[in-house]
Amino acid sequence: MSHYLITLLSAMTEASSLFVAAAGLTLVFGAMRIINIAHGSFYMYGAFLVTTVAGGVIGGERFWLALLIAPLAVAVLGIITELTVLRRVYRSEHLVQLVATYALFLIFGDVALRLWGSQARSVAAPSPLGGSIAIGSGQFPVYDIFAMGVAVLIGLGLWVLLQHTALGWRIRGAVEDREMLASSGTNVALLSTAVFAIGAFLAGLAGAISAPLQSTAPGLDASIIVAAFIVAVIGGLGSVAGAAIGAIVIGLFNTAGVLWAPNWEPAFIYLAMIIVLAVRPWGLLGTPER
Amino acid sequence: MHYRTRRTLQMPASADRTQPAATAAPSPPAIAREPESALRGLARRVGVIFGVPAAIVIILVILPSVLSPLPLLDVQSAVGLALFACATNLLVGYGGLVSFGQGAFYGTGAYVIALAWLHLHMSFWISFICAPFAGAAMAVAIGLVALRTRRLYFALLTLAFSQLVFVIAQQQVSFTGGANGVFGPMLPSFLINPDNAYYFTLGVAVLALLALYKITRSPFGMTLKAIRENPERAEALGVNVFRQQLLAFVFAGALCALAGGLFVVYDQSANPNLLSWTESGYPIFMAVIGGQFSFLGPALGALIYEQSRDVVLAQFSDSQLVFGLLLLLIVLAAPDGVLGRLTRGFALLARRWRAARPGRPGGPGPESAPRDAAHETAESER
Repeated sequence: MSHYLITLLSAMTEASSLFVAAAGLTLVFGAMRIINIAHGSFYMYGAFLVTTVAGGVIGGERFWLALLIAPLAVAVLGIITELTVLRRVYRSEHLVQLVATYALFLIFGDVALRLWGSQARSVAAPSPLGGSIAIGSGQFPVYDIFAMGVAVLIGLGLWVLLQHTALGWRIRGAVEDREMLASSGTNVALLSTAVFAIGAFLAGLAGAISAPLQSTAPGLDASIIVAAFIVAVIGGLGSVAGAAIGAIVIGLFNTAGVLWAPNWEPAFIYLAMIIVLAVRPWGLLGTPER
Repeated sequence: MHYRTRRTLQMPASADRTQPAATAAPSPPAIAREPESALRGLARRVGVIFGVPAAIVIILVILPSVLSPLPLLDVQSAVGLALFACATNLLVGYGGLVSFGQGAFYGTGAYVIALAWLHLHMSFWISFICAPFAGAAMAVAIGLVALRTRRLYFALLTLAFSQLVFVIAQQQVSFTGGANGVFGPMLPSFLINPDNAYYFTLGVAVLALLALYKITRSPFGMTLKAIRENPERAEALGVNVFRQQLLAFVFAGALCALAGGLFVVYDQSANPNLLSWTESGYPIFMAVIGGQFSFLGPALGALIYEQSRDVVLAQFSDSQLVFGLLLLLIVLAAPDGVLGRLTRGFALLARRWRAARPGRPGGPGPESAPRDAAHETAESER
C-alpha cells in the first residue's frame, strides 16, 4: 500500500515542476499569443544558475540564495529578450514568431554550452530538506515534498494575481481582447513585457526547483519544452488551472510508463496527449475557437 | 506609444502585400499600351510561368559537369529537402495547417525502402514506388485524429504522432535496428553512380513538384486556401472542410514519404532521427525562411538552410549560435521570407522602371521572374 502511495507522490513531484514551467508558457501564450520555444532555455538557465551558485557547497546553505537569484536573473533575461527581439515580431505571422523563438533557443543553447560546458551538473538539496521521511515501510525524500509545496504556492499565487490584482485583470483582459484593452487605456506594450517577465520567472523557478531532483545538462531545454507544451495543451492553452491538471495527468502517465513498460516510457506522454485531444480537441479546460 | 494589436495591423499589412501584385499585373490601367500580338502574349505568358523554374532546372541539369562529386551530393540533398519543404508547405502555407509531424512521413518513406531491403530483399524500384503509398496510408490514420483539432493543438498533436512513430522505430530493435537504424548497400547498381543518383533525385523531385504545383492551382488547391482563410464560411458554402484537409494531409504525407525515399538515394540508410520532431521542424523553418506564400519559397529556403548550415558548421565552433543569429536576422529582416522579400523588391523596381518609360510594354524583364510568386503572395495572403 505504502509502495503505491510513494509512487503516486513521485508522480506529483514530477508534476509540480512541470506545472510551474507550463504555467509560464500558457500565461505567455494566452496573453501574448506567442509560442515561446525559448521557454525551455529559460528553464535550463534556471537550473544551471542554481548549480553555479549553490553547487559544490557541502550541506547546500547557498541553495536558498540560488533559489532567489536564479528565477530573478532569468526574468531579467526574459525582459531583455522581449524588448530586443519579440517586440519586433508581434506584427508577424505566428510561424515567424515560432522561428524567431526557435532561433533564440539555438542561441541560448550554445551560450549555455559556453558558460557551463557539456558535463552534467548536479546540486544537493539543502540540509534541512536533505533527508527522507518514512511512509509506511518506504522512504520518501523531504525535498520532493518541498517541491510540491512550492508548486502549490505558485498555483495559489497565480490565482491571487489573476483574480485579485489590477495587473491580473489586465492580463485576463489581454487574453480576451487585446484591442479593447489597448483602447481602454492600458499600455499593452508594457503589459507584454511584464507578462513575458513573469513567464520567464516561472520557467527559471521551475528549473531552479528541479535542479536537486535531476542532473542538469545541455539538452534539458529541448526535453522540457516539449513536455511543457504538451502539459499546456492537454490542460487547454491559456488556462493556468488547466496546466495544473495537465501536469498531474502527465505525471501519472509517465509514472505508469516507468512502472509497467520502462522501454516504452518515452511514448506515454505522447499517448496521453493523443488520447486527451482525441476526446477533447481543445484540451481539458480550453475553450474552442476564441 | 501604445502597442498596436495584431488585428489592427492585419489590414494595412495585407493591403501592402496586394500592391506588388497589382503593379505586376499585365496591364496597369493608368498607362496606355500598344496592343501586343497574340504570339508575344503567349511567349510572355509561357515565360512568366516557366521562365525562372525552367532556368533553375537547366542549371541543375548541367551542374554535374561543373561540380565535383562532393558538392554535387550537397545539391542532391538540398533537392530532396526542397521537395520535403514544398510538400510540407502544401499544409503550412496553402492549408494553414502547421503540421509538426511531417518527419513521420519522411522517415516512413526511408524506412519502407530500408526495411523492404533488409527483411524482404525487395527490389529498390518496387519499394521506392511503395514508399509514397505507405506515407499516404499513414497520413489517413494520423489525419483522421489530428484534423479534429486546430492550430497549435494540431501542431502538437501531429508532433505527438511523429514522436510515437519515433519511439516505436527506436524500441523495435530486432525489426528496425533501434537507434542505429538500417544501413547497407540497398541501392541498385544504377544508382551507385553519383551522376545517375543525382539525375534520378532531380527527375523525381521535378516531377513531384510539377504535380504539387498542379494541385495548388486546381479547384482543390483553391478550396484549401478558402478553408484556411475562413473555415466557417467554407463550411457554410458546402465545402466538406474535414475531407478536403484530410486529402491535403494525404497528398503532403505521400510526397514527404517520396522525399524520404530520396533520402535513401542520398544516404543509403534510414534512422529514427528522420522521424523525430526536430526533423519535422526543418521543412517548416525552410518554408518560413524562403517564403511560405510562394510556391518555390520553401525550396529556396531548403537551399539556404542546407548551405548556410554547412558553411556555419565548417567555419565556426559555436555553430548553433551563428546559425541561430542568422535565422533571427532573416526572420527579422524578411518576415515574409526571402523569396517574398525579393518579389516585393522586384515588383517595386519594375514599377519604377515602367514609370520611367511610359508607353513601353513590360517585357519579360526582371519583373517577369517573380511575378508568378508575387501573384501567389497576394492571393494567398490571409
